[in-house]
Amino acid sequence: MNSVIFLTIVLLALSSYFFGRKKAILIQSNKRLTALPKFYGYYLAIWCGAPAFLLYALWSIFEPSIVRFFILSDYSSQGLLEGELNLFYEKVKSLSRNQYSGELTAELQRSAEKYLNFRDIAKWSKVVIVLSLLIASTGYAYTKISNNTKTREPVEIFLKGVFFLSSLAAILTTIGIIFSLLFQTIEFFQVISLFDFVFGMHWYPAKAFVRDASEALDPSMYSDTFGAVPIFAGTFFIALIAMCVAIPIGLLSGIYMAEYASKRLRQYAKPVIEILAGIPTVVYGFFAALTVGPFLKDLGLSLGLEVSAESALAAGGVMGIMIIPFISSLSDDVITSVPQNLRDGSYAMGATKSETIKRVIFPAALPGIVGSILLGVSRAIGETMIVVMASGLAANLTLNPLESTSTITAQIVVILIGDQQFGDPKTQAAFALGLSLFIVTLVLNIVALSVVKKYREKYE
Amino acid sequence: MNKIEAKNVDVYYGAKQALFDINMDIEANKVTALIGPSGCGKSTFLRCLNRMNDVIDICKVSGVVKINDYDINQKDTDVVRLREKVGMIFQKPNPFPKTIYENISYGPEIHGIAQSKSEMDNIVEESLRKAALWEEVKDRIHEPGTGLSGGQQQRLCIARTISIKPEVILMDEPCSALDPIATAQIEELIDELRKEHTIIIVTHSMSQAARVSQNTGFFHLGKLIEVGSTDKIFKNPTQQQTQDYITGRFG
Repeated sequence: MNSVIFLTIVLLALSSYFFGRKKAILIQSNKRLTALPKFYGYYLAIWCGAPAFLLYALWSIFEPSIVRFFILSDYSSQGLLEGELNLFYEKVKSLSRNQYSGELTAELQRSAEKYLNFRDIAKWSKVVIVLSLLIASTGYAYTKISNNTKTREPVEIFLKGVFFLSSLAAILTTIGIIFSLLFQTIEFFQVISLFDFVFGMHWYPAKAFVRDASEALDPSMYSDTFGAVPIFAGTFFIALIAMCVAIPIGLLSGIYMAEYASKRLRQYAKPVIEILAGIPTVVYGFFAALTVGPFLKDLGLSLGLEVSAESALAAGGVMGIMIIPFISSLSDDVITSVPQNLRDGSYAMGATKSETIKRVIFPAALPGIVGSILLGVSRAIGETMIVVMASGLAANLTLNPLESTSTITAQIVVILIGDQQFGDPKTQAAFALGLSLFIVTLVLNIVALSVVKKYREKYE
Repeated sequence: MNKIEAKNVDVYYGAKQALFDINMDIEANKVTALIGPSGCGKSTFLRCLNRMNDVIDICKVSGVVKINDYDINQKDTDVVRLREKVGMIFQKPNPFPKTIYENISYGPEIHGIAQSKSEMDNIVEESLRKAALWEEVKDRIHEPGTGLSGGQQQRLCIARTISIKPEVILMDEPCSALDPIATAQIEELIDELRKEHTIIIVTHSMSQAARVSQNTGFFHLGKLIEVGSTDKIFKNPTQQQTQDYITGRFG
C-alpha cells in the first residue's frame, strides 16, 4: 500500500509538470511570461509532489506510535510497568498477524481486533488525506499560474532546500554515530576505570563471558581484562610494518610515474597500480593468510627461525602492498602538480634530472607527500580484514614481527561476533575501542589535511 | 668576435615546423634582442641555445649552434656543462620554494664551485649584489624566496643564474610579468651584466629592445627576417616587414 501511494505521488507530480508547462505555453501565445515554460512545469510538479510527500512521510513516521497509544490507553490505568505494556503490545501485534502461539485471553483478542480496526482506518485515511492534499495543492498552484507568477524563485528555493537536507542527513548521521559511540563508551568507563583501559597490560575480553547475566556487576573482576596497551601496540606495530613496505615502494613508484615514465607507459601502468586499490581487503586477507603467512613460516623454518603461521609480518607486509597505490598515486599527483617552471629553472642551472627531483621537486612536493603518507597510515590503522585473517586474534604484547599480535579493529570483530548483549562491559569495550580508533584516525586525517592545505599555498 | 653562431637551424614540434633555417651570429658582451609577434619562434630559438628544447618530448632540433666555436647540438655534448655556461631567465619568476640563500647556493653546490661555507657565503653575497638585490634582502636571506615581490623574485632568479658565472645569459621575456618600476630595475641590471656576460633577450616590447640592446633580430612566422644593430633595425630597416612591425602596422 505504501509503495502504491508513493508511486502515485511521483507519477502525478511528473504529469503535473507537463500540465504546468502546457498552461504556460498557452499563456505565452498572447502574453509575455516571466520565466521559461519549463519553470512553470517544475513549479506545478513541486506543488503537487512536495506537500503530499511530506505529509505522507510524517504520517508514516508517527502512525505506529499513535496506534500504539490508542490501543494501550485502555490499560494505562492498570498501573502496568513499561516493559509489561511493551510485551502486551507485541503480543497484540503478532496475534493480529495470526502468528501468536501463546495463551489467548479475552483482553488480548479484543485489543487485536481493535488494532486491526485502527490500522485499517489509519491506512485508508492516510490515502484519502494525502491524495486530497495533493489535489488541493496542485489545484491551488494551477489556478495561480498566470503570465506573471513568480516561478523561478520558488523552484530555486525548493532545490536549495533539497540540497540542504541532503547535507544535513550526512552531518546528522556522523553526529549520531559519534554520540552512540560516546554514550556506550561512557557506560563502559563507569565499570572499567579509564586508567586500567589505557595503561592495562592484559587484554582478555573472553574472561568477561564468565559472568552470568543475572549476577550483579562487580568491577573488580574485570581489573585485568580490558587493558588496551597490547592491542594499541599491536595496531601501531602492524601499521609500522605496513608503512615500511608502502612508503618506499609507493613513493619511488610515484616519482617514477611522475618524472621518468613516458606518456605511453604512464597511461597503462598507472591504472594497473590503481587496480591494487580496488581489490577488496578480504582478498588481501586470504592472500596474507594462505600465501604469505605459510611462505614466511617455511622460510623461517629453513633459516632455523620460529615463525608463527599468523605473524604480524605477514599481515603488515600485505597491508603495505594494499597501501602502495594510495601513496604512489597521491604522491604522483602531488609531484605532477609541481609547476613545470621550477623544473625548467633547475635544468637551466645545469642540474641533472635526479638532482632536480631530489633538491627541487621533492622538497616542493614534500608537504603533499607527507599528507599522502598520513592518509596511508590512517588506512593502515583502520584496516580490519587482513589483520583478522592473517595476524591472529590473541593480543600478545610483543615487538617480534614473527609472532602473532592483534589490533584494535580485529578485537572489535572478536568481541562483536557471536552472542553479545547490550549493557555488558564486553560489548561496550568494542565501543570504547571504536571511539579510540576514531579519535586516532580523525587526528591523523586532520593533520594530513592541514599539511596538504598548507602545501597548496606554497608556490604562490 | 662572435660568441654564438647558429647555422641552418630548423625546429619541429611534432609535425609542425616552428623555425625555418635560422642563421644568426651573436656578438660577445653585447645585448641582443629578439623581437617579433607572438608565436614567431623567438623563444624557441632562445631555447635552442642551451638545449632547453630537450625537455619537451616532441621537439626536434637540427642544424648547428656553435658556442665558442663548439657545436652544442652534437650527440655527446654534456648538457650539464653547457647549461653551466649558458644560463637562462624565464618569463615568470621561478624561485625555488627554498630560502633566498638556498636559491643562490643551489647552482654552486650542484657544480661543486664553493669549497667552504665562507666561500659559499661570498658567492651568495656577490651574486645578490650584482643582481642589485643585496641591500633589499641582506637581513632576510634565510627567509623563503617565494615571499619576495615579483620584481625581487626575478632579480633573485638573475642572481641565481649569475652565481655560477655563465658566459651567456638567455632571457625569455623577463619583464613581462613585472610592473614598470621593476622593469626599469631589471633593464638597468641587464646593462650592467653585459660587461661580464653575453645577453640574449626575447621581448615583446619594442621600446625595451630599443632601450637595452645593441643588436636586434626580427622574427616572423618562424623565420629570421632581419638582423643587425638595434639602431639600424629601428631607424633604417632593409626589409618592408620589419618596417611594418616596428611602426606598428601589424603584430
